Amino acid sequence: MTFELIQSILYFLAGGFLIFLAVTIARDNLNNRLNRTFGAALLFAGIGPLCMAFGLLIDPATALVVNFKGSTTYNLHYIWEFFFPLLLLFSWIFPEDRLKKFKYSRIRYFIFIPQLMHLIILLFGINFITFLNSMQISSGAEGFSALILKPFSMLIGIMTLFIGFIINSHALIFSTFNIFFILVTIYFLESGKKLVSNPRIITQTKVINWAIRSSLGTYIVATIGSALFPTYFTETISSLLIIAAVLSGTSLLVYVTLRYQFLDVRLAFRQSFVYSITSAFFVGLYVVLFLQTQEFFVPIFGEKANIINYVIIGLLLLLFQPINNWIDEFTRSIFMRTQTDHRNVIERFSRQVISLFDPIKLRQIIEETLKTTLLVEHIYFVLYDDILNEYVLYLNREHTQKIVLSRDDILLRGINQLDSPTFYQSLGDYTQNSDLANELEAYQIKIILPMKDSEHLLGFLALTSKAAGYNYSAEDLNLLGVLSNQMVSALTNARLYVDSLERMRLQEEVSMAREIQLNLLPSSPPLHPCMEISAHSTPSRTIGGDFYDFVYKDKHNLGICIADASGKGMPAALMIAQTQAILKSEVNNGTPIDMMLRNMNKQLVESSSSEKYVTLFYGELNTEKGYFHFSNAGHNYPLLVRANGDKELLKTGGPIIGALPDMSYQSETVKLFKDDTLFFFTDGLSEAMNEQEVEYSEERIHEFVTINKTKAPGELIDSILKDVRVHDTTYPPRDDTTIVSIKIRNGFANG
Amino acid sequence: MKLTDREENGVIILEPNGKIMGGPDASLLHDKLYEFIDQDKKKVVVDLSGVDWMNSTGLGILISSYTTLRNNGGKLKLANVTEKIRSLLVITKLEPVFESYDTIADAVKSFDE
Repeated sequence: MTFELIQSILYFLAGGFLIFLAVTIARDNLNNRLNRTFGAALLFAGIGPLCMAFGLLIDPATALVVNFKGSTTYNLHYIWEFFFPLLLLFSWIFPEDRLKKFKYSRIRYFIFIPQLMHLIILLFGINFITFLNSMQISSGAEGFSALILKPFSMLIGIMTLFIGFIINSHALIFSTFNIFFILVTIYFLESGKKLVSNPRIITQTKVINWAIRSSLGTYIVATIGSALFPTYFTETISSLLIIAAVLSGTSLLVYVTLRYQFLDVRLAFRQSFVYSITSAFFVGLYVVLFLQTQEFFVPIFGEKANIINYVIIGLLLLLFQPINNWIDEFTRSIFMRTQTDHRNVIERFSRQVISLFDPIKLRQIIEETLKTTLLVEHIYFVLYDDILNEYVLYLNREHTQKIVLSRDDILLRGINQLDSPTFYQSLGDYTQNSDLANELEAYQIKIILPMKDSEHLLGFLALTSKAAGYNYSAEDLNLLGVLSNQMVSALTNARLYVDSLERMRLQEEVSMAREIQLNLLPSSPPLHPCMEISAHSTPSRTIGGDFYDFVYKDKHNLGICIADASGKGMPAALMIAQTQAILKSEVNNGTPIDMMLRNMNKQLVESSSSEKYVTLFYGELNTEKGYFHFSNAGHNYPLLVRANGDKELLKTGGPIIGALPDMSYQSETVKLFKDDTLFFFTDGLSEAMNEQEVEYSEERIHEFVTINKTKAPGELIDSILKDVRVHDTTYPPRDDTTIVSIKIRNGFANG
Repeated sequence: MKLTDREENGVIILEPNGKIMGGPDASLLHDKLYEFIDQDKKKVVVDLSGVDWMNSTGLGILISSYTTLRNNGGKLKLANVTEKIRSLLVITKLEPVFESYDTIADAVKSFDE
């Protein structure tokens, strides 16, 4: 007696657990075919043990004394075998819904035939044989029915034998069917696995397949074993083994299915558990209420007032519905499944992207996140390309295949107005006459996820359906909305980072150019016993458009040059580098000064546009005789201050070089004496402006140099720079500033 | 820099106002010039009375306008050159290159000679 009780409790627990799993699965989303199929499979798997349990509990006497095996309750438990065709159906839906593509999908109902036959034969087979036997007996008599039936007596005999055989060895026959079903299931799961690319789903399928295989092993031992060796495998042991197989296999199946559909499987279980318990409590309460009220009504309406019972049942059902909903909401609010799970995903996502500045890598993480958490099958990116100034649809991960979208595309404009994730279908009219729509429809896009900063659409994601045919839920759309905000900030960060990298690279290039430019300037002015030379150059930006140079044309002729290219920065620097190179080669060729400037002008006109030009002063100082032979190509007049304070401006020359072709240049010679000061400068010095927009001016330079003519060149330069900086405090100066100063210390040997 | 233009006896008179500093000024002037060249109007006087200052880039713009017109068979002359700009033209020795006149009328008239 006690053993039967324990056994029935075990059956009861197993059945209850399986039905609980069925409820959990179905409750997640009943609209989903996968949920329906798998939920039904579990329900049938649970009914079997429950029937066994009830059979033992309700009628323990029958179970012990009379042959429980033959009872209807016992035979009814074979209903659990529908688990097998439903599992097969599951393998057609998971991991890829192949029924959708299958033309004759209705054929699926036929797979239930063997199990249905089994049940019918077990429930009605004995009765049928009895019926047939009665026919056989009556066939001995003469009569109308016997006349008709006589030719079939042989057939009836065979049928009786056949059905009898099936009844006797039904366990072996239908177990074979069931094993065959499982083998086919394994085959379909394997072939389905090859159709999916999502690594996570492949792993899930693998686990499910192994769960089924291990259960299959136990099932074979239990069924075939008990059929072949009934002495060792008693009915009890075999059914317990089957339950163990079904329980272990289905639990694993449920776990992976939930795990991969839900974000947090423990919560789903807990929630379902609370739901089931509370529901059971309320059902119990209603049953009690129903019984109580029945007793209350019977004396009034009499024993046979069944109609009253139905009214009460109807009322109770009506009442149950809102309470049912209330329980649902209550359990949800307790476990906050949505928020917790989504918060995890969002936190993980932002952690991953916060330190990520590579846009390609960022897109990969977005893809990874959406594929693993929402099981999106494919994701297509449309992003605004800063260089093309257009939106671009990227077809693959590496961004090698892409389609540039037309700005006027009606769908693109429609998406521009979206603020949240939207079902593609709901875009309606926007998808008419749109190339983008044709493209997206070819990929069976289901969801459009716009990525918008405060004003601009940075791009959008186009998501295909979820893996295994799951539908997007409202929760999914919420999650997508939050993720898209994260993506926007991550994309913006990545873009800013790329910009700053680009700036850094440019900065580095400019610094290198600056170094090259500094190397082009003389490292120190030449030393000569007769004179003292000093030079200074400050660019207004990192690199400048001024230069000065000292080149010995021959032993006694020192070439001195100061020049200023129009404009500033890199273009001016390039112009200057070119001018300097031409100058050096002309000086080395020994070209006369006027010809030299003519040649330089010609070469620069040929190699630059006319708005780019150089003002240049070039002079040759004969260190033997003290002659200074020069030509001024549109440069600020250098100043010559004699020892007595007389000033001369070195004007003679011609127009600026590099602007206009066929210019000619004059040259002039002045003689230099002891204590003369030569002062060359660029307009950065003379045009230095104070706050009132007053220039420092050439006049002030002349005055300053004249007053400070006794100073050594280096000192003179320092002091005038100081004076200019008092006038114009901007530093670095607004314009490139270059100064060369020469002081004749001793008279020239042959002067 | 602001730029207005008008026509007088088949001569285009361009009136820049403010500082000619380069950057957008360059394209503004060039676009205008090409517009006139396309209409076969190649006699241009630039009235510099409203230009108080010009940097090296500004001068570059003026030079390239001059060459653009010359290369297309036209001519650019200056009128009302302010002292500041005249000194710039003197230093750069471009004064002989640009024909400059004291008044617009003189500049316009000079095209008939």
